[in-house]
Amino acid sequence: MSRLTRTPFAAVFRTEVLLNSKRVVPYAMLALFGFNAWLWWAKGAAVFYGWATNGDFFIVRNFIGFSFLTLPLFTAVMMGDPVIRDFRAGVNPLILSKPVGRASYLLGKFFGNYFVLFCCQAVFALALVLFQAFRPAGMVVQPARVTPFVLHFLLLVVVSHMVLGAVYFTVGTLTRSPKIVYGLGVLFYPVYGISQTLLKPLPSNWRIRLDPLLAVWPGIVQRAHGAEWENAASINRLTFGYDSDVIINRVLMLLVAAASLTILHFRFRRAEESGAEGPVAVLNLSGDGEMLFRGEGGAPAETQSADAVRLALPKVRVAGEGAGTYLRQLAAAVNVEFRLLRAERGLIVLAPLAVAFSTLELLFRVEPEGSYSGAYAGSTAKTSLLFLVALVVFYTGEAMHRDRELRIEPVLWSVPAPNFVILLSKFFAALLLSVSLVALIGLTALSIQLLKRDTPVEIYAYLSVYGWILLPSVALAAALSVALNVLLRDKYLTYAVSFATVGGLFYLYTQGHNHWLYNPSLYGLWTYADLSGASAARPLILTHRVYCLALALASLGLAHLRFPRRMEKGLEGAGPLGSNGWSILLTCVALTAALVAGVLLLVPGG
Amino acid sequence: MLKVRGLKKTYGNQIRALRGIDLEVPGGMFGLLGPNGAGKTTLMKILATLLEPDEGAAELNGIDLVVQKGKARRVLGYLPQEFGLYPTLTAEQTLDYFCKLKGVTDDRERREHVGALLERVNLSSARGQRVGGFSGGMRQRLGIAQALIGRPELIIVDEPTAGLDPEERVRFHNLLAESASDAAVVILSTHIVSDVSSLCGRMAVIRQGGILASGTPAEAVRQLEGSVWEAAVPRETVAAFKSRLKVISSQTFDGRARLRVLAEGGAPGVEFAPATPTLEDYYFSLVTRTAEGRRG
Repeated sequence: MSRLTRTPFAAVFRTEVLLNSKRVVPYAMLALFGFNAWLWWAKGAAVFYGWATNGDFFIVRNFIGFSFLTLPLFTAVMMGDPVIRDFRAGVNPLILSKPVGRASYLLGKFFGNYFVLFCCQAVFALALVLFQAFRPAGMVVQPARVTPFVLHFLLLVVVSHMVLGAVYFTVGTLTRSPKIVYGLGVLFYPVYGISQTLLKPLPSNWRIRLDPLLAVWPGIVQRAHGAEWENAASINRLTFGYDSDVIINRVLMLLVAAASLTILHFRFRRAEESGAEGPVAVLNLSGDGEMLFRGEGGAPAETQSADAVRLALPKVRVAGEGAGTYLRQLAAAVNVEFRLLRAERGLIVLAPLAVAFSTLELLFRVEPEGSYSGAYAGSTAKTSLLFLVALVVFYTGEAMHRDRELRIEPVLWSVPAPNFVILLSKFFAALLLSVSLVALIGLTALSIQLLKRDTPVEIYAYLSVYGWILLPSVALAAALSVALNVLLRDKYLTYAVSFATVGGLFYLYTQGHNHWLYNPSLYGLWTYADLSGASAARPLILTHRVYCLALALASLGLAHLRFPRRMEKGLEGAGPLGSNGWSILLTCVALTAALVAGVLLLVPGG
Repeated sequence: MLKVRGLKKTYGNQIRALRGIDLEVPGGMFGLLGPNGAGKTTLMKILATLLEPDEGAAELNGIDLVVQKGKARRVLGYLPQEFGLYPTLTAEQTLDYFCKLKGVTDDRERREHVGALLERVNLSSARGQRVGGFSGGMRQRLGIAQALIGRPELIIVDEPTAGLDPEERVRFHNLLAESASDAAVVILSTHIVSDVSSLCGRMAVIRQGGILASGTPAEAVRQLEGSVWEAAVPRETVAAFKSRLKVISSQTFDGRARLRVLAEGGAPGVEFAPATPTLEDYYFSLVTRTAEGRRG
């Protein structure tokens, strides 16, 4: 045993665990999975239908649900970039120049990270085991047990995600692009859905054998025993034994994981691809007239031949302060930021996915809400909102931290552009990206409407819905995200806080707590008819939009105030108020506007 | 003229990076020489308006660099020790962007300026290439190009030649020397003595947050005339020499140690021959003297 712990594999494994212990992601996962376990235990289907919360059916169903709904993206986050991190940090030549075998390095990386993922997953199972000690009124609990939890967790969660983890790890290591892995993580859902549809005609034993998450298994067992969901007694009697089909499935999955890692072992190259050096070779790096310096002592040596002509820089006029200069700087910065956002590889996957999810419903029957166009626009606005908010949060975070990650910040911060130019360029770039996506969704919806001949097509309906409902909500999300990124200074912490807040709010909305004051997305609070001029709800919606935009302005003011780049001290520059004075004034005015709009929203009847 | 008065900076972890820097930097190339951790980068960051000093002032031609950051940034060109560029932008797009941020708003002027900058740093043929595919030298040259935008009055370059091959280093030196005649002040921060000796008309030595000496490289070398001695001795005797002589430097060469020592009033031993003093001798003697003074 002690010999094993001294192997390169063990060293790599231990270091991965150590490195992960200093990251935010594992702790965020621990918290989320613990909360997830509580949510499904206390508010899940078991309480609703009267199933035992430690019965086999509920345990299996819970683990499979956890494995399908929560884990795939986190598995991608954890397993996609362990090797990429080494290459990014530049530590790879140091490690790979040591006598560490490829297998030791890759397996150490894989199992080190999978162990951390396993520990995070285990919180979900452990929480469910511990919850057996609590027996709230109305909840059915059988005598306490541990073995089924452990067994089902190992076979249904750990094995399934070892396969996904191995695939993500292989793709991430070979492509050196975490974005491709995240794209795969997102694509998992449609791919899995399509594969299950294709497998549907097969006999049940084959469906069990070929389902990577075994999601069909509880349903097949339930139907085989004639148990109904509503009949709690029959559900609680169900037991899940591992017959030959399930064992074949699990062995098959482990073989896929092994095959993926084997491919990686043979394809992995220790050195960077030489292709990247291509452009360097064609350049003449040294002028003919140049010579080496004489070295120490004396005056500077002759550096150029006599006939070498010095290239004089033409004189340029540098504009001073003023609105015109700032606007031109802002336009240039937005242009570059938007160009950089467009170059994000993840968009190749996420943009079509956003369009597909938002317009999928339109392929089925659409009931006209006053007009077909209104119904189409309303449907896409509702389905795309969450996706757009998530995209805005993600890409605002990328834009806000890109300068530091690329180490361009010292150069950028030494130019005479004011802080609001830097901040607003990121805000507007994220907003512009969302507007482009909304336009894409709108065009797709319009095309479907035309194809289905649900005429007449009213462009105004689309403009009205997207303009009043989507854009202010997305603007608020982008502004809040800018502020959070400035205040928290950590991209991943901002993502965790943002997604937890959005998740929590949407949970509250689905539970009926969706007051206008804390529902900036207007989720469930509007119909297309409300946007027409004659509707009594229209002023309320307009007030709400003012409320949202005022909050967005206040967030931007706050972000400007707390932006770490120093500007003029005291009263110098930026007019009599100074740079911070303007931020405070803007924040105060915006908060007052939000307060007034908020009070109007609280007045009974709007 | 750049004037620095009593600049002090202590970081949160109680590291005193600057202990009261006083400097007067005239036009032309100025070398700031010091070992790693001497406080060079902190001083450069303060002059580049990126860091707030605890005390003190820095003024360039009437502009207070600590207070009037906006004005300072208009006359400043900065090339940090470590910097990145947007990998998906081309060299031309990168310079165009920085020109716009710098306030070069006229389209025709900007195009000409970018073209001239690319020409000057020998990147014209790579103007359409993405920066992500550039070599270290090309990136560094693009870095200096962005620092030259708008013909700044103050150019700050922090350890610019680290990681460059000899040819690239020469090219870089030439560029800086050319820029020095365009700009009022060029500050070159480095720990490579030969960079300063071959480029700078004036220099200062910084160590542990304080200025040890300043002047011209020629003056510095002149101070050591007649007091630098050299000898090749067996390696095992180096410790004995070090204990009784002021050893400036000791380098192993062909199995023997080549010692350079500082001794006023004649040869310190029969094996020693007089040597022509260099700026490196001056630097090492200064740094060694300060270290010994502190120990004493």
